[in-house]
Amino acid sequence: MSISPSRAQQTALATRKSYPPDLVQKGAALFRQDCSFCHGRDATGGETGPDLTRSRLVRSDINGDKISLVVRNGRPDKGMPPFDRTDDQIASLVAFIHKQQNNATAFKGRGNGGRKGVDPSDLQTGNAEAGKKFFEGAGGCSNCHSPTGDLAGIASRYKGLELEEQMLYPRHAKSKVMVTLASGETITGRLAYLDEFTVGLIDDAGYYHSWRTRDVQYKVDSPANAHVDLFPKYTDENIHDLMAYLQTLH
Amino acid sequence: MSFITRIFLTASIAFLAFAPDLARAQGATPQMLLHPPADSWPIYHGDYSGRRHSSLQQITPRNVKNLSLAWAFQTHQQSEIKSSPLLVDGILYFTVPENIWAVDARSGHQIWHYIHPRSPGEHIGHRGVAMYDEYLFFVTPDAHLVSLNAKDGTVRWNVQVADVTKGYWTSMAPLVVGDHVLVGVSGDFDNLTGFLRSIDPETGATQWQWNSTPSAGTPNQTTGGMTWMTGTYDPDLNLVYWGTGNPTPVLNGSTRPGDDLYTCSIVALNPDTGKLAWAFSVSPHDTHDWDAVETPVLVDGDFHGQPKKMLMQTSRNGYFFVLDRTNGKSLLTIPYGPVNWSLGVDKQGHPIPNPEKEPAPDGRLIAPDEGGLTNYRSPSFDPKNGLFIVDAHPSWSIYFAKPADGLYGWAGADYDVWGKAVLEAIDYQTGKLRWTHELGPWGSGAGVLTTDSGLTFTGDAMENFLALDSTDGKTLWHAGSGSEIVSSPITYELDGRQFVVTSSGGVLFAWALPE
Repeated sequence: MSISPSRAQQTALATRKSYPPDLVQKGAALFRQDCSFCHGRDATGGETGPDLTRSRLVRSDINGDKISLVVRNGRPDKGMPPFDRTDDQIASLVAFIHKQQNNATAFKGRGNGGRKGVDPSDLQTGNAEAGKKFFEGAGGCSNCHSPTGDLAGIASRYKGLELEEQMLYPRHAKSKVMVTLASGETITGRLAYLDEFTVGLIDDAGYYHSWRTRDVQYKVDSPANAHVDLFPKYTDENIHDLMAYLQTLH
Repeated sequence: MSFITRIFLTASIAFLAFAPDLARAQGATPQMLLHPPADSWPIYHGDYSGRRHSSLQQITPRNVKNLSLAWAFQTHQQSEIKSSPLLVDGILYFTVPENIWAVDARSGHQIWHYIHPRSPGEHIGHRGVAMYDEYLFFVTPDAHLVSLNAKDGTVRWNVQVADVTKGYWTSMAPLVVGDHVLVGVSGDFDNLTGFLRSIDPETGATQWQWNSTPSAGTPNQTTGGMTWMTGTYDPDLNLVYWGTGNPTPVLNGSTRPGDDLYTCSIVALNPDTGKLAWAFSVSPHDTHDWDAVETPVLVDGDFHGQPKKMLMQTSRNGYFFVLDRTNGKSLLTIPYGPVNWSLGVDKQGHPIPNPEKEPAPDGRLIAPDEGGLTNYRSPSFDPKNGLFIVDAHPSWSIYFAKPADGLYGWAGADYDVWGKAVLEAIDYQTGKLRWTHELGPWGSGAGVLTTDSGLTFTGDAMENFLALDSTDGKTLWHAGSGSEIVSSPITYELDGRQFVVTSSGGVLFAWALPE
């Protein structure tokens, strides 16, 4: 039975163009100077930065429309600085990054120095039954989560490494804060800013308010903190079993 | 001799007698490097000990709340300042990759700006210049050492230290010891031999080279051990102390069984010959990229009632080490944050790596993360309080390695899961935390400077400069800087005024009490 290409495959085919070798070479040189420490010289990942050859954004990028924005704006929430580069320089980076992604399968087993990736097939060593037991028992996950509630279909929303990273620490989970003024009045909202000196929230109507921390009492509710409490308690077996269990929740 | 000539001669002699300094600035003399005067910061660490501790007392816990901006210098470019400026003869010298600025410390204005031609090699960061006499020494992304005239930034010579096409690059601030300029190298993405090179400050010729690891391809032996950061020096023992980086391949140790000497080590070398006096392995058989290149801080003091010449390091791998620096013997090895990768510490003070926590095909949860429990931002030793104060990063990560990842360079993958920043004041005799100061989520704080008046200067993860009380870590002053703080503070006295100089993003800030 033949299967027509998925949309991802279609996009990949559409952008699998060939780039002029000298443009790719220029891109490789610039990539080494600016990008390779974090992303590896071959773009498969270096110190701290992700493997671009597996990147969804790169796969869906058409002629640099998405890549250029990331390069110019950086990813402040993830620690990537912005790079003010000319259009020509960006075009060379785009050519190099696409070539690396197109050739990614050719790198398996060959030494290229950069960090290598993790496939969903690497993350199948656990036992789903044991994972369910951990979820309902020692892990305490069912205190906040339900396989038929918030986690229904989680395995369709996240796969492989991304699922495991979210499972260990859901970095996009929002925190709430309750601020009590000197008058006794309380205001709650989504935590928008917090340092030693200032606390800021977005209220239910969408307005931003902030106060000096010295002037108010405040209590932060970070549901993700329960995940942090588990780190010293997990065995690696627990993690693999939990992954096996979560991957049954389609 | 005519009357006019006699007048001229008398006037000239009088002029020279009262204004000798105008003829020639003194530069960084050996005397200045050994005993930095109050109006100087002539070495990356401030002095050879690496304590980053100042005897200046004008700014105190009582008056620091009045600390205000004397001037800011904006570089108008995107690279973040990671260097510690030097201050010599009233002029500050600081860097980002391929750039040196010379700034008048009184006016905050530029004297000259050197821009090195764009070179291959990683432009990830730069730690600063070194000074010898009237010359500056500056490493480049393509692993060259450039020497410049401090008065105007003109180039004297340029020599290759390592081959960038093989994967080396350089970013560190060299260390001048006697008539040696000591230069270290970077490069983890290739299986390379690490080394420390001693270079003649006059000619650029190589004097000696010490290799931390064997040549690539030696059977069952490691490569790596890069000398990423600046070491320290004991003039009485005539030993330089240097940390070395992790082995390569990084996450896969199968081709390099054993302790992988001298990677992840603290070594003591004779600066005149490069001969190894002793070595201590901080992370035997590391598989987590945890360099041991953090400042090897030299402290003379009591250890459990005995006077000792010590060396202290808060290392990437999560352990705080106190060594006897005369012989490299361990006095104390203790974690200073969450650590889950070891089976404990052996009798010689080495952490014992747990084979179950080596990177695996299905991943292992590891504390700390790859960046380590601390990273390049400098710690400080406060002798008055007996505290080793460090920007710590309690953190967790997952590490992967499988045969398909190969045996070259990184040879695996690791991902940060969670972390935060906290300043820790460690009692050096016990490793206990006397106080901590939370610095914010995810990232890291800044480097640390302490002073004899009882102040700790640093920065948090939310772009705030901080001055803390060294006895309890309470905040006494702060200023929002507007950008990431990724450097370590310095301080000096100029015209009878104490300045603290910090940086954030591409801007240098000079702080002082109002005049």
